[in-house]
Amino acid sequence: MTLGEYAGRRLAQLADSDPRVFVLDGDLADSDGASHFAQKHPDRFLMAGIAEQNMVSVAAGMAAAGMKPFVFSFGAFLSFRAYDQIRVCLSQARQPVVLMASHATGLAGRNGKTHASLNDLALMLSLPHIEIWTPVDSYDIDLALDASLRTANPVYIRMPRAPFPASERLQSRLEIVRWALPKQPNVILSHGLATRWALEAARILQQRGMSVGILHFARLKPLPSIGRLLSGVIRGFVVEDHVEGCALSTIINALQLPMQTISLGWPAIFDGKSGHDTKLRDHFNLSGEKLAEIIAAHLNQPQQC
Amino acid sequence: MNTDYIVKKHHNVPQNGFDQQVLADEALLVRKDIVSALYATGGGHYGGCLSVVDILVALYRCSLRVFPEQPEHPDRDRLILSKGHAAIALYAMLRRLGFFDWPLETYASFESALEGHPDMRSVPGVDFSTGSLGQGLSVGLGMALALASKAPQVWVILGDGECQEGQVWEAAMLASSCKLSNLHAVIDCNGHQEWGHAAISRDGTPVPPVAELAAKWNAFGWSVIECDGHDLGTLARTFTPPAAPQYSLPTVTLCHTIKGRGVPLIESDPRRFHCTSVTRDEHAVMIETLRLK
Repeated sequence: MTLGEYAGRRLAQLADSDPRVFVLDGDLADSDGASHFAQKHPDRFLMAGIAEQNMVSVAAGMAAAGMKPFVFSFGAFLSFRAYDQIRVCLSQARQPVVLMASHATGLAGRNGKTHASLNDLALMLSLPHIEIWTPVDSYDIDLALDASLRTANPVYIRMPRAPFPASERLQSRLEIVRWALPKQPNVILSHGLATRWALEAARILQQRGMSVGILHFARLKPLPSIGRLLSGVIRGFVVEDHVEGCALSTIINALQLPMQTISLGWPAIFDGKSGHDTKLRDHFNLSGEKLAEIIAAHLNQPQQC
Repeated sequence: MNTDYIVKKHHNVPQNGFDQQVLADEALLVRKDIVSALYATGGGHYGGCLSVVDILVALYRCSLRVFPEQPEHPDRDRLILSKGHAAIALYAMLRRLGFFDWPLETYASFESALEGHPDMRSVPGVDFSTGSLGQGLSVGLGMALALASKAPQVWVILGDGECQEGQVWEAAMLASSCKLSNLHAVIDCNGHQEWGHAAISRDGTPVPPVAELAAKWNAFGWSVIECDGHDLGTLARTFTPPAAPQYSLPTVTLCHTIKGRGVPLIESDPRRFHCTSVTRDEHAVMIETLRLK
């Protein structure tokens, strides 16, 4: 099951007790998870056609009239095709529309570059008022949907295409920012699918006698206070399924924490590519093995001040 | 041209229940408000503001149910000025309705709540923020969907140049398939745009911003009305929705207007007066023209 499919099912449950909930979909319901909602609440579902700009503005109008619209499509088509509508109708007008960005991130499978959303978080982070969730598992989706129903702000929920086995849920206390592996002097800071990459890298490092903690961010904005969480940390490896240097790493750098920060993500020259997740990640040094090698190289060096 | 799709036309139909002279007097005052405010603040969109005045007066005085003392009243009708560059016309109307009493001469200044384009976050009575053209009809469609089982009607005013935006037609398609009879588009067809088709068609033949506009809306499944956009009696009657909708379709009214209506200096040069500043002498001429009426 993908996170989008889980979200569609969970939202259908939540709608039972919240009559404001309405779902719009850009004709991708069988891929992005909205079909699960449509089957249970056909009277509160609108297939809005292959017209994302219109769909986002329609949702804004519904929100202005008191409803709680959730807009499902692929992340690339919401964040890029409808960016001006998000800017004007959601951010500037501050309408509580929830954008359910499925198939987001740099791994677009056989669809390739047009369907990748490598820099969507940079676009969303640079708009005021929008809350941004980057779930890795169903726990995070629960958190994000509950919070989305309560907030008066627009929301962007970024969900990867990759199926997520329920058994791989993070075994840690359920919080917006939480330790997926216990704190160490060296930590990986990650969000979304990249937290799974971080876990792969940590396991390999562990086999080589090196330990890193992993701090997972289910939400990037607004960001809870993390200064105390990271006290004593000497190095932070920011691993992201996003163009490097312009999402979580930007946020961490802006905090000016007393630690060295290393940014790891898709290179800025990469514009997306068809192909298997494993091959893409390996080629761009984002496989568990490659990430472990990069991190190990840093761990074997004296700390830079 | 086949015009079978035009379901009704009004020609100088008296509007019972409304004093047309009172409406005309108010339209004149709104025009003075616009011209005065734009001169005081360094200029702006004279042409498109003056062409939409009669539409606004007829809608607000003869059709819309609004509550100036409670701008967010849930039972209010909604109006979205999708051609947001006519913001000062909307502000002048809202001020006369009593939504606020801020001086219009602060328009678009840093200290003012009267943002350059309509801002729902700062101006009471603005039902949605606009300015990036082409988005208002979609927003109105969303409101109409949300309010479909209730009394409020949703009105969206667009420009004919704005109809070049693709999103307008995305909304037009979806609205007709949703059969929303509580959604009403009104198009201020002044025949011009900033620097476009009416003046610089490639073969020298003047063309409207969007050709065959009525046929296009009809093809998209809308009920189409055409009327004189400066005949207040006709507008008042046209903007009164029937108690029981005659058609289970959204309705578009194509209002044929004159860019800069009411001020001959502006009417004579629609390209310059799309958005400009004027000299003191020109302003004096404008005010004198309006005073004489």
